[in-house]
Amino acid sequence: MLGEKAYSLVKELEDRQCEILPYNTDLVTEIATEIVHLYDQNHQDVRLEDSRTPGTSTNLMPTVRMRHAAIQRNQRCLLAYHYNRLRLLRQMRWEFGSILPTELKENLSAAENGWFNKYSTILGKYMRSIGENGGLNLAVDLKPPKALFIEVRCLVDYGKLELNDGTNVLLKKNSQHFLPRSECEELIRRGILQHIAN
Amino acid sequence: MIKLKIVLEHSYYPNYFAIEDIIATQEKAPCKFLVNIPKLGKLNAASEEDDLKAGTSLELPVWLVQQLASGRQPLVTIDLPKSYKPAYREILKADATAVDLHKFGLYFYELGCHIAQFDNQGDVREILVHTFTTRFKQLMDLADNIGLDPSAIDKLDMLERKLFKDGNLARNLLNNWLNNSIIPMGAATMVVNHRKRKRINVE
Amino acid sequence: MNPDDIEFIAENELVQVISNFNSPVIALIKGNVGPFRAGLTTHVPLWLAVNLRQRRQCKIVPPSWMNVDDLEECKTREKNLRIFTKMPSDHYIEVAKLLLDCSSDDIPQADEIRTIIKDIWDIRMAKIRNSVNSLIKNSSSFAALDNLTMFEINSMMPLVPACLSQIMRLKKPPRGLNTQSQFPSSILINTTNTTNSL
Repeated sequence: MLGEKAYSLVKELEDRQCEILPYNTDLVTEIATEIVHLYDQNHQDVRLEDSRTPGTSTNLMPTVRMRHAAIQRNQRCLLAYHYNRLRLLRQMRWEFGSILPTELKENLSAAENGWFNKYSTILGKYMRSIGENGGLNLAVDLKPPKALFIEVRCLVDYGKLELNDGTNVLLKKNSQHFLPRSECEELIRRGILQHIAN
Repeated sequence: MIKLKIVLEHSYYPNYFAIEDIIATQEKAPCKFLVNIPKLGKLNAASEEDDLKAGTSLELPVWLVQQLASGRQPLVTIDLPKSYKPAYREILKADATAVDLHKFGLYFYELGCHIAQFDNQGDVREILVHTFTTRFKQLMDLADNIGLDPSAIDKLDMLERKLFKDGNLARNLLNNWLNNSIIPMGAATMVVNHRKRKRINVE
Repeated sequence: MNPDDIEFIAENELVQVISNFNSPVIALIKGNVGPFRAGLTTHVPLWLAVNLRQRRQCKIVPPSWMNVDDLEECKTREKNLRIFTKMPSDHYIEVAKLLLDCSSDDIPQADEIRTIIKDIWDIRMAKIRNSVNSLIKNSSSFAALDNLTMFEINSMMPLVPACLSQIMRLKKPPRGLNTQSQFPSSILINTTNTTNSL
């Protein structure tokens, strides 16, 4: 059936708004080939149609119209696939930070990887350029802060964390700390620290 | 202004890139060919001929039917898919709240919007609005966790599900705020999901 | 908006505290507070009152409406009238929660007050749900929100406005919208995560 492949490509994105799957190079190539093939056939038939005397032999225009609809459908699916993956990637920059877990990074195409790095650089540059004293980190204080210091528990063996005042804290699994909120919010978002209320 | 922004953020509106719209338009509608389509006989699995003959009845995806049925020289006439036919409309009119809309059609409203373009009497549009407004109370109760029967969620179509999900999330945040004095900051949603999947993969 | 955001806005409400320390006027971004004289009352923003109370540097003077008699009267009125009555404070629920959580010792009959406020909230929520339901069922195009507080209005977000938008979409087909062939001339990645997803 026309457009079946393109449909299954888009279907990969359904219900997966929070997860990036491996870039489906094979299917993308197949769909692109299908588009070229349909286009070639149409090109040929349109030429035949041009040289045809009206009223004689078969009218090929309905066929051309149907193929053209399929081309447009395939194109829409391809673009939607890439566009929605980019949206996901952009969200990932905000949720994981500038360094993605390797398993996820492997799921990106080369072009997507490049895009992610560029986006990350531009965002970093922008955040450094606003506010005073070396910029403003837009990825923190997502909720109105209540206290300067908070109690946190470390969920993984993270290693040393150097605070702005120069002191070092060793973040070991299951260790508990009382730290400046501004300096651990990002680690909480990345799932390294857990915020303990009360 | 802030409120307006939220309204816009949370209202689904199909666009060129909308995954939901692409999937919904893959649903099929019955149609009948008015002219011969040379060379595309293979679309009709029941026939061995090279050409698709005028008079053939086929079920085709809505995205294709839309293209073929519109314009100055339509190639096909379109018939309503069964969920939108009078018999089914009667069921919805009788009591839309009792219907398992998920079974009626995953994308009941989305497909309905597309189909409605070909229904000059406006019956389809009318039944869409009737169904949605009648079922709203149920949707609101579900989102607000009132009269808990989670199985009712299974009976929502995809549009209702999306509305439920967003509404329920907001309601839970609100209840959480009302019941707790300090709400801890949490890890980002994607991070949490990634962890969960990793754990499943390991097991 | 999240409840946290509205709480943040409510924290600008002024409340009276009796400090146990002396301090000249303190200049803050939102304005001056103080001077503080031990044993005397001063008006301060709610967030500062909570902060000082947590550090045991003040006692809270409950707002004039925060007493059992006035609130009982308020509750009776709310119960007997079909319309929404005016609340004693535009942020009654947030102010009550913050103050009762941090200083129930300073507020006479704190537990009773907590219960009555919860009752008032429940009565009003039931009213909201009823009127929203008839709004949608009768396909009305507007609703008066007189005397509802910001927090109460927000409790209907995003469900109600989203449903109203959907009804509008189901009623009126967008003229000339043909997603098949319409290709946007400029592609903007939206700033929100939800715009595009069903």
